[in-house]
Amino acid sequence: MENTATVDQAATAQQQISLSVLKKRWLKFKSIKRGYYAFIILITAYIISFFLPLLINNRALVVKYEGDIWFPVFQGYIAGSTFGEDVPGEANYRELKEKFRSENGNWVIMPPYPYGPFEDVTTAGNKMYEEPSGVHWFGTDNTGRDVFSRLMYGFNISLSFAILFTIASYLIGVSIGAMMGYFGGKFDLITQRFIEIWATLPFLFVMIIISSIVRPNFFLLIVILTLFGWIGMTYYMRAEFYREKTKDYVAAAISMGQSHKKIIFKHILPNSLVPIITYFPFAVIGGIGSLVGLDFLGFGLPPPTPSWGQMVSVGLQNMVKWWMVLAPLGALFTTLLLIVFIGEAIREAFDPRVYSRLR
Amino acid sequence: MATYFLRRLLLLIPTFFGATILVFIILQLAPGGPLEQTIRQIQMGGMTQGEGGSAGAGDMTSGGGAGLPAEAMEELKRFYGFDKPIIQRYLIWLGVWPREHDSRNLEFGPGENEVEKNMGRGQWVTVKKTADGYVMYNDDGSINSDWLIRPLDPAEDGAARALVYKTKLSGILTGDLGTSYTYMQPVLDVMKPRFKISIFFGISGFLISYIVCIPLGIAKALRHGSPFDLFSSVIVFIAYSIPGWALGAVLLLLLGGGSFWDVFPLGGFRSENWEYLSLWGKVMDQLYHAVLPMIAWTIGSFATLTVLMKNSIIENMSQDYIRTAFSKGLTEKRVIWIHALRNSVIPIASYIGNVIGVLLAGSYLIELVFNIDGFGKLGYQAVLDRDYPIVMGFLVIAVLLRLIGNILSDIALATVDPRIRFK
Repeated sequence: MENTATVDQAATAQQQISLSVLKKRWLKFKSIKRGYYAFIILITAYIISFFLPLLINNRALVVKYEGDIWFPVFQGYIAGSTFGEDVPGEANYRELKEKFRSENGNWVIMPPYPYGPFEDVTTAGNKMYEEPSGVHWFGTDNTGRDVFSRLMYGFNISLSFAILFTIASYLIGVSIGAMMGYFGGKFDLITQRFIEIWATLPFLFVMIIISSIVRPNFFLLIVILTLFGWIGMTYYMRAEFYREKTKDYVAAAISMGQSHKKIIFKHILPNSLVPIITYFPFAVIGGIGSLVGLDFLGFGLPPPTPSWGQMVSVGLQNMVKWWMVLAPLGALFTTLLLIVFIGEAIREAFDPRVYSRLR
Repeated sequence: MATYFLRRLLLLIPTFFGATILVFIILQLAPGGPLEQTIRQIQMGGMTQGEGGSAGAGDMTSGGGAGLPAEAMEELKRFYGFDKPIIQRYLIWLGVWPREHDSRNLEFGPGENEVEKNMGRGQWVTVKKTADGYVMYNDDGSINSDWLIRPLDPAEDGAARALVYKTKLSGILTGDLGTSYTYMQPVLDVMKPRFKISIFFGISGFLISYIVCIPLGIAKALRHGSPFDLFSSVIVFIAYSIPGWALGAVLLLLLGGGSFWDVFPLGGFRSENWEYLSLWGKVMDQLYHAVLPMIAWTIGSFATLTVLMKNSIIENMSQDYIRTAFSKGLTEKRVIWIHALRNSVIPIASYIGNVIGVLLAGSYLIELVFNIDGFGKLGYQAVLDRDYPIVMGFLVIAVLLRLIGNILSDIALATVDPRIRFK
């Protein structure tokens, strides 16, 4: 979209004359600070988010009780009676910690943020609609669940979902688009008609219809979204392959007797990667947007999955509890903005059209 | 060129059929359709009245309709059209296969071959069962051919039953979208008032985004790299990354009087007393309600359009013909507004068709957030209620608008850019 960072390309090119194209692009990408830092922040946050159970959880990391050492985070459900606690069901580690404080030899190490995404008012000590405070950073929701905790787990789910969705729809879109461009002829014509029909359907509306019929889970929802998501890439791939297949290196490969499969994937595809890479971040944005939208409508991931869309939807029914709306939407905006920055930087690195202006 | 557009128009037909057939099949084969929902409602209703087990208990043969008498099941199936095979249902919906209407049940007593039936308006007819079917006689003994008769499954006690009905060709091809299950009104009548609301937002949103984005894009291009450009870029970035409905939710929260400032109403299209306001009051009330949804509506195209315009101008400014214009000694104003702009609006023109599609498609979420009874919300609610006539009607209109929008885009493109020749 934008073209802000101006790098002396000629100088860079001279210095690194032996570098591969991809490496040059990576260097260019690194030189675009906004996108590069956004990339680092997002990747770090995403990697950390896989360790969330160790950081944000109501299950203790380590419990020492009567000489035995327990690791509830890894062991999962442990009944409260195991630790001599008088609670129904699972142990309440926060209360346990308080209790053990006065006992010799017993101790509990909690995660830094000791509230889980699923525990609600049924856990002792949790209240509904608590305002943001030092304890609950973003307050609690209508069932007493900690908003910050759900937000963080929702980050991992949203991003994982969108990345998997993008990969799945690219696998299909690239293959079909490549075949359309490479083979042309009848296959191209028929597939084009089919795509035209498919693309005419109002995407979100049909998604709602399908989701209202089958109650989707995480992977089913990816499959359903992919049913519509693959179309966008076919246009670019088809155009790329139409152009590339007339070039000499393809003719050479054909005359050497290479198979179609090899020509498509080994010879042409590496030369057609630009649209795949440059559109990837924007497809991820689309994926997150669709997921949050569907969750908002109530047709997304099944409850009680921590999802931003569901949080917004509940929040909007309680307009005076502002944190329930602002927190998830703030997380959504921040994430999307970071990805847009990355996407812009990638686009600039791969499409180095220097806009020069006279005068 | 004319042949190109004619061909495009003709290509609408298979695309339209393809899209509607697809959704029709999904809807009709899906479990939990209107039939099942009605059965469930009836059963629940029966339960609350404490007579759940009395009516037709033990009739477990009808599968999903356990607890419902077979005849009621049959009637329901007929009402929702599920008594016919799916292809026939689609053809009826299209209006190329006769649709049954005004149907009435006939029941022959045991051993009887003749039944009298009141057909309404004081008209009595006699239906006789013969070896090769049913014949209907008027009062005066003449054969009645206004009505058609077909046999139904015999009743449990073995009595013969038949259905008397009329037919007509009536479907979307004849302009009949059917009758809504929930509103019990013709689909078009249900849609009309909501359509107006969506068009209001669609058209004014379209105008606003073009009025804002084209000058903004030009200004950004001419001051490329300036603080103004960088600052507005940040806004554009944010606008690009935020889904419109989500921005709407934030604005509503901040300005709708929930926890922060009470500047705008909490939603709705107009005030309840709108009818009684003065003209000025009406306009102000409308604007007052429309500001926030309108921002949400336009934000999506705002970023795309602005950047499209900016890049397009910048690209044109580095072309040879601009160099020529400058070297001829023309003023910068003239070069930009007369020479560069004409070529720069070309990509913008192709965006016009999009707007028509977006007019409906992108609006469910915004309408839900602001509680506006628009077209999108109607479609969403219809899916929830399994109101298939409305769902299909919504689809037909959405598909048609999108197809026409695509063609409009091409026409706009060809108009703005005389070099473009479609073949």
